[in-house]
Amino acid sequence: MTTSPTDGSTIPPASEASSEPVPPPARRPPTGRKRAGAVLTAPLSWLPLLFLAAIVAVLLYASDFHNFGLSFWGPNWFPDPLDPASASYGVLVFAVGTVLTSALAVFLAGVLSIGLAISLVMFLPGPLARVLALFVDLLAGIPSVVYGIWGYVVLAPYFANDLEPALQSHLGFLPGLGGSSVEIAGGTGLLLAVLVLTLMVVPLTTALVRDSLRSVPRALEESGLALGATRWEVVRRVHLRYARRGIFSAVLLGLGRALGETVAVFMVIGNQVRFPPTLYSGTSTIATLLVGQFDSAFIYPDLLRALVEIALVLFLITLAVNVIGRRFLTDGGLGRIALEAGPEKAAS
Amino acid sequence: MTATVDPVWGTDSPRWRRRVAADRYVSYLLPLLFLAVLYPLLDLIYWIGAEALPTLSWRTLTTNPSGFGGGLLAPITGTLYLIAISTALAGTVGIVAGMYTAEFASPRVASLGRLGGNLLAGVPAIVIGYFGYFALVLYTHWGMTLVAGGITLSIFMIPYIYRTADLAFGSVPADQREAAFGMGASRGQYLRRVAWPIAFPRILTGIFIAMAIGLGETAPLLFTAGWNFVPATGLSSQTSYLTGLIWLYYSAPTDFGTELALAFQAAFLLIVIVIALNVIVQLIAERYRRRLRGLFR
Amino acid sequence: MSEPAAPEPAPVLSTEGLSVFAGSREILRRVSLAVPEKKITAVIGPSGCGKTTLIRAMNRMVELSPELRIEGTVRYRGRDIYAPEVSPVVVRRRIGMVFQRPTVFPQSIYENVAFGLRLDREEEDAVERTVVTSLRRAGLYEEVKEDLDRPALSLSGGQQQRLCIARALAVNPSVLLLDEATASLDPIATQKIEEMLRELKGEVSIVLVTHNIAQAARTSDVTAYLHQGRLIEMGATSELFEAPREKLTEAYITGRFG
Ligand SMILES: Nc1ncnc2c1ncn2[C@@H]1O[C@H](COP(=O)(O)OP(=O)(O)OP(=O)(O)O)[C@@H](O)[C@H]1O
Ligand SMILES: [Mg+2]
Repeated sequence: MTTSPTDGSTIPPASEASSEPVPPPARRPPTGRKRAGAVLTAPLSWLPLLFLAAIVAVLLYASDFHNFGLSFWGPNWFPDPLDPASASYGVLVFAVGTVLTSALAVFLAGVLSIGLAISLVMFLPGPLARVLALFVDLLAGIPSVVYGIWGYVVLAPYFANDLEPALQSHLGFLPGLGGSSVEIAGGTGLLLAVLVLTLMVVPLTTALVRDSLRSVPRALEESGLALGATRWEVVRRVHLRYARRGIFSAVLLGLGRALGETVAVFMVIGNQVRFPPTLYSGTSTIATLLVGQFDSAFIYPDLLRALVEIALVLFLITLAVNVIGRRFLTDGGLGRIALEAGPEKAAS
Repeated sequence: MTATVDPVWGTDSPRWRRRVAADRYVSYLLPLLFLAVLYPLLDLIYWIGAEALPTLSWRTLTTNPSGFGGGLLAPITGTLYLIAISTALAGTVGIVAGMYTAEFASPRVASLGRLGGNLLAGVPAIVIGYFGYFALVLYTHWGMTLVAGGITLSIFMIPYIYRTADLAFGSVPADQREAAFGMGASRGQYLRRVAWPIAFPRILTGIFIAMAIGLGETAPLLFTAGWNFVPATGLSSQTSYLTGLIWLYYSAPTDFGTELALAFQAAFLLIVIVIALNVIVQLIAERYRRRLRGLFR
Repeated sequence: MSEPAAPEPAPVLSTEGLSVFAGSREILRRVSLAVPEKKITAVIGPSGCGKTTLIRAMNRMVELSPELRIEGTVRYRGRDIYAPEVSPVVVRRRIGMVFQRPTVFPQSIYENVAFGLRLDREEEDAVERTVVTSLRRAGLYEEVKEDLDRPALSLSGGQQQRLCIARALAVNPSVLLLDEATASLDPIATQKIEEMLRELKGEVSIVLVTHNIAQAARTSDVTAYLHQGRLIEMGATSELFEAPREKLTEAYITGRFG
């Protein structure tokens, strides 16, 4: 060890193009029978990819390759088991619900987690930052269904009686916040779903944004400070610029999670099948449709096929979002802060 | 902080003062954003506790749920069985796959494996639930069973264990490794005697995290594990589970029986277990950090 | 044991009994030295002797390592830079720093040099003028004037390092601290930087940390020799290299260790 930890010379040169997951350096041993161990253990490491393929295959098969035609993307969801001819399986309402909830939640979570991550990395003393990170982590550990019951039993009445009427009377002129007071109903609806979803996504995005801020070379940070910038200026002009790919990927991975969140959203979104006229209104998402109607679909083949195809579409969309998100990520990023406290970090 | 002109430092411009003030305000105000997540978290824990504790008793843990209340015996045992099955499966797969990826695989294969794991972690739970229903309930003609639920759940847990195992084996210090092979150890001996003891604590954190995640899942089980008001009697019997009980009872009217209270009690138990697992993980990670620091110097 | 070379005009920067501790370990031991104005001062010494720590203490960069504790005084034109009413941001404006590896921001050449100026929201044509003069002073302008909007990362290592110097000069510091700024460069790039530094010294006081004894001899006016955190000897470069007063200095410059 001749390099000192303070002069920045131990930090690898700034490179923007570090998008590929960095594999641990190849470490071939000089001896050892590789064959047997490798052959025995290899298949299991293919299992995750295999599962992904199996999911596609099984869902395709279960859907009977049924073609619902253009109406599948239409606005009319009208499953009628008795009269298949007049039934209609348009998923647009649910797609809109999914897009609205996910987009709003991810926007809020993104903004929030950028602020949290900056605080953790730049402004809070180490021990306090560690404790706060643990709390954020805990948020990720709370089961969805617990968020759901809290949202349904505790938050919904508060939303219906206090928050939403107040929003409606003070900010009613804003798009989505006005409308009829009937829309508030029991407090379940888009707004509550967005709030719960935001809380569920924030731990993931915070951990990812934090990691990408940390990946900013110390030497760059110090250069900014050495030029007489304040810490906040360095955050804005160096960190956020340097880490923008990582932040982008954090948002995408957060989106991937929000798109697929099922149980908690189902419990608080109201589950009306309609385009929501206001933020207070009950509506549905693709995931809530999938979980809410599967039971009844067991005996209606067409409905089952429709649901399976929708599940497949949801799967492919989240997969695509995750693939794109991961292309910008240096780390595996399962988003668990505890995982990151590994030896690499401990050693530095 | 007087505004007198300083001949040496020469900084008295309004712009300069604004810059410094902005820095100070941001450093105080930005961390306040934590309130936006801490407040809901504490509110949630408070309410779950407040709704669950008054009626929580020994009977809750020892009796089965009934139409009008009862206890959580069946869901608790069901959750334990499900987690036991899925942890055993996902643990085996995850550890072995992680070992292969870190130890044997070529960089290409390794990165493919990691990609698969990471993408699997991103699959919506409900889609895995659908998959489990068709693959394990319908096509196998098993019907909804404990084992179908356990397997479905394990698909969900594999990525977390796989990734920690991969990282854990991959981060065995190079000199430990070279020393082992330098002394003529075979790969098997190296893995058993050198890599495993070093990697194990970290793998354990991955397993606990996966358990916490599996414990809290609902969607993969809804169409695979079935339901049962008494404890499951075998792999092929249906089973209840804590999250399922909440799902079933959360919208029960408060003035009709005690189902809602039961749902809150299940939620309370889940939170307690999740927090306990998180604490254990932190304790292991903390001990492990200290031990590793020695190794890496 | 250690006294400034000549007590002539007031030094621009001076340390008095400066110590830096890492826990109980003293990595800089009561160092007192004076950096003369508009000269090049070389700091030499074996690896790990505390050169980096010394110059990082001179513009309060050490404060970024919370595990380090500082004792003693550092004065800039007679003023204590660690005084509570003095902001580190102001100190670093007056006392700039360039690191061992080039640390260009992933932006254009122009924006790199403009970094410090943008902080003050200067007028765009003032910024432009300063960018050009700074690039000139750093001897880089002729090589890059065709396209200042090129990504700075597309420059060679030596050019990047000169860009870093230009960037530091743009905010008009009185002192420039260079930490082994040529250590990662080839001989030609190194020579260019040395020439440029000699031209600069009429305008800026330079402290040059270097492993390269010949570089210290070639470029500096004054040299300080540091050994295990202590200032062993400091004096006019010619004298120090021809007739070192201390055995340790002699051993080092004749290449017996380091
Ligand atoms: N933040 C720190 N914590 C603990 N020890 C430190 C720290 N910074 C520096 N040191 C130690 O202080 C000593 C002096 O370090 P410094 O980097 O100043 O030496 P240097 O002369 O610049 O060395 P080099 O020529 O290798 O750059 C070294 O032994 C180093 O390990
Ligand atoms: Mg150094």
